[in-house]
Parts: sequence; C-alpha cells; structure tokens
Amino acid sequence: MDVTVPELPDRYETFTAELRAFIAAHRPALQWKQRAGLRVPEHEADVQALRNWVRALDDAGYRLKRFSLDETDPYEQRIITRELGRAGVPYILGNPLVSGALKAFGTEDQQRHYLAPMARGDHIWTQLFSEPDAGSDLASLGTTARLEGDQYIVNGQKVWSTWAQWADYGYLLARTEPVSGPRGISAFILDMHAPGVDVRPLREMTGTTDFNEVFLNDVVIPVSNLIGTAGNGWVAAQTSLLTEREGVGGGSGTVTDGLVDLARSHRRRGRAAIEDDAVRQELGALVARARIFSALGYRVATKAAAGTIDAWDAPLTKIWYSELNLEVAEFALALQGNRGALVEGDLGAFEDGKWQDRFLYARALTIAGGSNEIMRNVIAERGLGLPREPRGEK
Amino acid sequence: MEFAFSEDQDLLRSSTRRFLDDRDALRELRSTLEAPEVVDRHLWQKGGELGWTSMLIPPDHGGGSVSTQPLVDLVVLGEELGRVLHPGPFVPTNVVADVITRHGTEAQRAEWLSGLAQGSVLAAWCASADGSIEMGECGVALTETPEGSALNGVARFVHGATVADVLLVLATTQTGAAYFLVPTTSPGLSLRTQGTLDLTRRFAEVTFNQVPVALDQMLTGPAIAVHQRAVDVATVLQSAEAVGAADHLFDATVAYLSVRTQFGRTIASFQAIKHRLANLLVVREGMRAATHFAALALSDGFDDAPAAVSTAGSYVPDGFARICGESLQLHGGIGFTWEHDVHLFVRRAFTNKGLYGDPGWHRERLCAIEAVA
Repeated sequence: MDVTVPELPDRYETFTAELRAFIAAHRPALQWKQRAGLRVPEHEADVQALRNWVRALDDAGYRLKRFSLDETDPYEQRIITRELGRAGVPYILGNPLVSGALKAFGTEDQQRHYLAPMARGDHIWTQLFSEPDAGSDLASLGTTARLEGDQYIVNGQKVWSTWAQWADYGYLLARTEPVSGPRGISAFILDMHAPGVDVRPLREMTGTTDFNEVFLNDVVIPVSNLIGTAGNGWVAAQTSLLTEREGVGGGSGTVTDGLVDLARSHRRRGRAAIEDDAVRQELGALVARARIFSALGYRVATKAAAGTIDAWDAPLTKIWYSELNLEVAEFALALQGNRGALVEGDLGAFEDGKWQDRFLYARALTIAGGSNEIMRNVIAERGLGLPREPRGEK
Repeated sequence: MEFAFSEDQDLLRSSTRRFLDDRDALRELRSTLEAPEVVDRHLWQKGGELGWTSMLIPPDHGGGSVSTQPLVDLVVLGEELGRVLHPGPFVPTNVVADVITRHGTEAQRAEWLSGLAQGSVLAAWCASADGSIEMGECGVALTETPEGSALNGVARFVHGATVADVLLVLATTQTGAAYFLVPTTSPGLSLRTQGTLDLTRRFAEVTFNQVPVALDQMLTGPAIAVHQRAVDVATVLQSAEAVGAADHLFDATVAYLSVRTQFGRTIASFQAIKHRLANLLVVREGMRAATHFAALALSDGFDDAPAAVSTAGSYVPDGFARICGESLQLHGGIGFTWEHDVHLFVRRAFTNKGLYGDPGWHRERLCAIEAVA
C-alpha cells in the first residue's frame, strides 16, 4: 500500500523552469477581484487579457490533455497543472465540458475545428443543459431543435450557464426526437453569436454574476453541428457530466486552510478562540474530514488506474467535498463572531469578506453538477442496486 | 500510487475469512453472550497460526508479516475479525507484542514474544483507572517495601485480562511513569469482570494488592513514548475492526431492506430509506479511507502519522456508532429483539467510543498538530 506519486525525473527541470519564467513574464494583471470557486470575470478587458494569456500559453506549447488529440506527456501535464494552479489566474476559459463529448462522439472535422481554439482561448464555451423546469430531472428538458432541410431550428430557455455572457459557443442539449425522456435528446454545437441567442446575466445570492439565462428564439444550427447522432445527446451528456462531477469535488485536500489563523485572530469569551475547547473540538473534526477527503482521493485514483471504479465513487466524493466546504465556511463565520456578518466593502470585514463570499458560494456546490440529493439517488440506485425512483405522470 | 491491499494481503484476508465463516463465528459468539468468558484459548491459538498476532513480532522470535507493512497486514485481519465481532484480544495482544518488540529487554523478548506470536500467550493492557488513555488517570503505583518493590492500585476496562497470561501495566513511580510486564499468575493480583454494554468482549477491573515486581519487568524507553505508540497502534487496529463490522452490518441492512416489504413494495425502494443508506455508505467509505491511510502512515513512519492516526480516531468511532444506530432503526421492530444481531453491533460501537482515546481526545490532538503546523 502506498500513496507515492512517481517523482519527476531530472530531465523535467528545464521544462519547469521555462514554464515558471513564462508564467512570470505573461501572467495577466486583472481588474477583477478573484474569489473562491468557478467565477467569471466582470470586465471585457479582463476577458481579453485572459484570452491573450491562454493563447500565449498554448502557442508556447503548454496544452492540457483534455484539449489535445495527440498523446501528452503525463509528467509535463502534472507540471503544467501544478504551476498554472499556483499562478492564481484562470488558465481554462469558460466551461470546456464539451471537450470530452467531442473527443468521444465528435467528427474528425469537429475535433479539428473546435478543440485547438478551445485550448487557445479563441473559443470560449458555455454549457446549455439546465432549464427552469428541468434541473435535477434534466431528461425532461423542453428546448426543441426541429429539423428543416439541412438545419435545425432551436427554441427554448436555458439557465445556469457559466461564462455564457462571454461565450463564443454553447454545448447545447435539445429535444429532436418525438419521444419523451432521454432518448429524444441530441447534443449540438451552438454559435452563441447567432441571431436569436439572447444571454441575460443572472445575479446570484453571492451578489456576483457567474451564471446566465440563455433564451433561444428560432436559432439556426447547421446539421453538421450535431455531436454524434440524433438521439445520442443524453449519452454524450452523461459522459461529460461524470467528468464534471469528479471535477467539482476535485479540489485540494486543504479545504480547512486558514481556519487556525481565524481561530487565533478572533476572540471568544474573553480569550483567543483557538483556546476555547468547543472551537478546538470542531476544528479537529473538520480537519479530520478534510484529511479523509485526501485519502478518498488516493483510493479513487488507485481504483481509476485499475479500472475498478464503483458507481458511488464520483457522487460520494462530490457530497463529501461540497458539504465539508459548506461547514468549513459556516464555522469560519462563527469564529468571527459578529464580525462574521461583515462583508466585502465594510471597513471591519476580515480579509475583505473573503469567508463571507465563500460561505455564500458554498451553496452553489451542494446544488450544481447534480444536487447532493440526486447524488444520493445515484449512490443508492447505481451503487447499491436499489430500485429506481418511479416517474410521476406528466 | 497503489492505495489498496496487495494480492498477498487479499490471500491473508481470505484465509481468515474462511476460518471464521466455516465456524459461523458470529453464531458461535451468540452462545457465549452471557457466559463469564467469551474467548476460547484453543481457537485463539488457531488464529495465531493464521497470523493474527505475529505481524508486529520479528522473525527471530517466531513472528513474521505478509508485507513490509505489518500494520497494514493487521488492518486486513482486524477488518475480518470485526465482521464477526470477534471477542478475542486482537487489539491488546498486538499492542503488547509491538511494545515488547520495540521496548522490551532481550530477556523480555525471549520470554514473551514467541508465545504471543503463536497465540499460546495472551496479553492485556492496563492503561488507567478509568479506561481512558490519559496518563494522569493511571491508578497503579509502584511502592517500595522492605520486602522489595510492589504494585498497588487498580486498572479498569482492561480488555482480555480475564484470559491474559501477561499484563502490560502503566504505573507511577517515584521517578515518573513506567511500564511493567506482569504475569497474571503474580500473587496479589485479582480480577473482577465488569458488566458492560458490550456483550461480545470481556473487560476487567484489575486490582493490584502488593503485587511483587522486579526491575527486570520494566520496559526500556520513556513511558510516554511507549504509551503513545500503544495508543496509536490500538487506534488503528480498533478502527480496522470497526470498518469490518460496519461493512458487515451495512451489507446486511441493505439486504434486509431489499426483501422487507410494506405498502406493497420493498422498503429499500423508498427514497427516505435510500438516502439514509447513501449517507451511511459515505460514512463507511470515509471510515475505510481514514483507517487505511492511518495504517500506512504509521507503518511507514510518515511525518503526519500522528495526525493520520487521530483522523481515524476522530472519525471512525462516531461513524461506526452512527452506522450501527441507524441500521438498528432501519431494521424496525426486529432490530429491537435479543435474537437479532444488530444490538450486538450497537453495544460494541458505543463501548468503543471510550476506548483507546475517545474521538474528542483525537480531535484535540489534531487541533494541536494543526496549530503548530
């Protein structure tokens, strides 16, 4: 039993040094205040700066595996994600969920035409899945794509589309077949600049605008933009959503970072909070759960390599991370006492309201990417083999 | 990265599982629930042949492990013993074997280790007067008399003392705490079996009344280091037993709910039930990951081994208790009967909470580690 990751061979020293130098030289300065989570720039200038930065990275040869059709070097990939992660600015623009679907089901033409520009930041993508009346029950979605000659005419309304306000293309699910449920759904590449696409930014409880509503009114899509075959959209979406679920829970094992500092710098009942027994007990319990999250990650990685992943692994990881993250944020606010109610912009706010924003945004993670209740259904039904929930009459 | 058991460890698991299944060990245990003793020394010796107590003992004293990570080997066995709520002193005997291996004199090693490895010698650990691992609660003192040194006082919640041949005893002395090895045949030593919630193990109150001890019964090394190591090993092994027990009970609960019918459908088809089972599965996998990582970290001497052990110590006992308690509830009326096994799991889980460091103790330790990091 071990958890060792193979050490980087010496020959990668140059690669690492060059990448670091590249990052130092090209890392963009942004106006945008960066916050925890998958957040979206507020200013056009920042989007342009990010596009330039991602393009420069790709031109210099630093391309992520998910956008590459060629074999990639796993050591180089490790260095790229590690170093870019440390750089602290986004290096993936938009929601690239479609890359998996294009690789699995796209035509050669589609792969050639879309993957490289996605990697270069030339094309920013958004996801057009959820609808106001189709959230957890995504398979009941009502947006239609009607075939007329060699094009589809799309009508409907989408919601929860991250980055749609800056997107060039959308990964769209729409109903093409005259059957209800998943078999009637197809997946498309949608040009977000096409006539009839109306993007309306949605302000969330965080006060920021990280999602959008997208209205589709007689939007024309050429048949060549169908991903896979008609009626195969649900399969494509399942494939890519599973990757996203791993992604949502795939943060580092340091979700409790900063709690000790908070407990030191705030007072409770006349002394530093860190000296309070109740605080210490709760802190210890959260640290334990954060450490277990890392160990769960080792298990999943080992099982993935051996091809023995259980159906419950991805939903379990998602539940573990998102609920721990929320409790950490709630505890962080409690540690601050009344100051926990002060938000960004107030003179007295701790670290300019960083924890308050994280507390609010934590609510997205227990719902997005399949709500935790749906995750529990998946564990019970696909993991434990229990009977499926019956469908109601509609 | 291979955060999983090896093929050899899988074989180790299957040999012990076959041995226990052939005997229908859980059924066998039921016949002794109210008997004064639950451990069959003859069967324990068979376990010795299967490696239950040999892993932490060096080969030149009759021991031997399956891998280079003997604690991980023991986790495999602990899970299997836990599945059947095995009554044997798996945790204390291995703790004592480890302590003698690391801190015993050559004479002590020669006297005890081979018997422990074979399963012919059983051991128990007298840590405190209240069964906690607080060294300050030590209830035994070394006193000097004209006739020589003697131990006086009491230790409680000593698992396996009623069948043990040797006791590992923490005592206060005039120069600080010290650990002694005391044969249970020593004069002045008496036992009273405590009536405990747990019906599957026997715990004793051990009274020391002028029990003579010689200097050569003392272990070398600072008592605090011996004690900490014993706590760490015990925490990992008890966690492994809990994981195995939780596995068995969870699977049994899912199976029962899948056949129990009410309102014309299996009750496992109700979403209220499915979500509770999903929650329990999350807990069970968390217990497993915590236990395996703790065993690995302690075995290989990772820098974060104390934190890894206390992560298990913080999470596993509460998780185990939750799985047992909810499983009982989900069984409904049948779960409240004496005949059904589920209460045996509940009883053990809630007894575990105070043994070898309660979860609060481990959280405090984690917090202390985190605060200096």
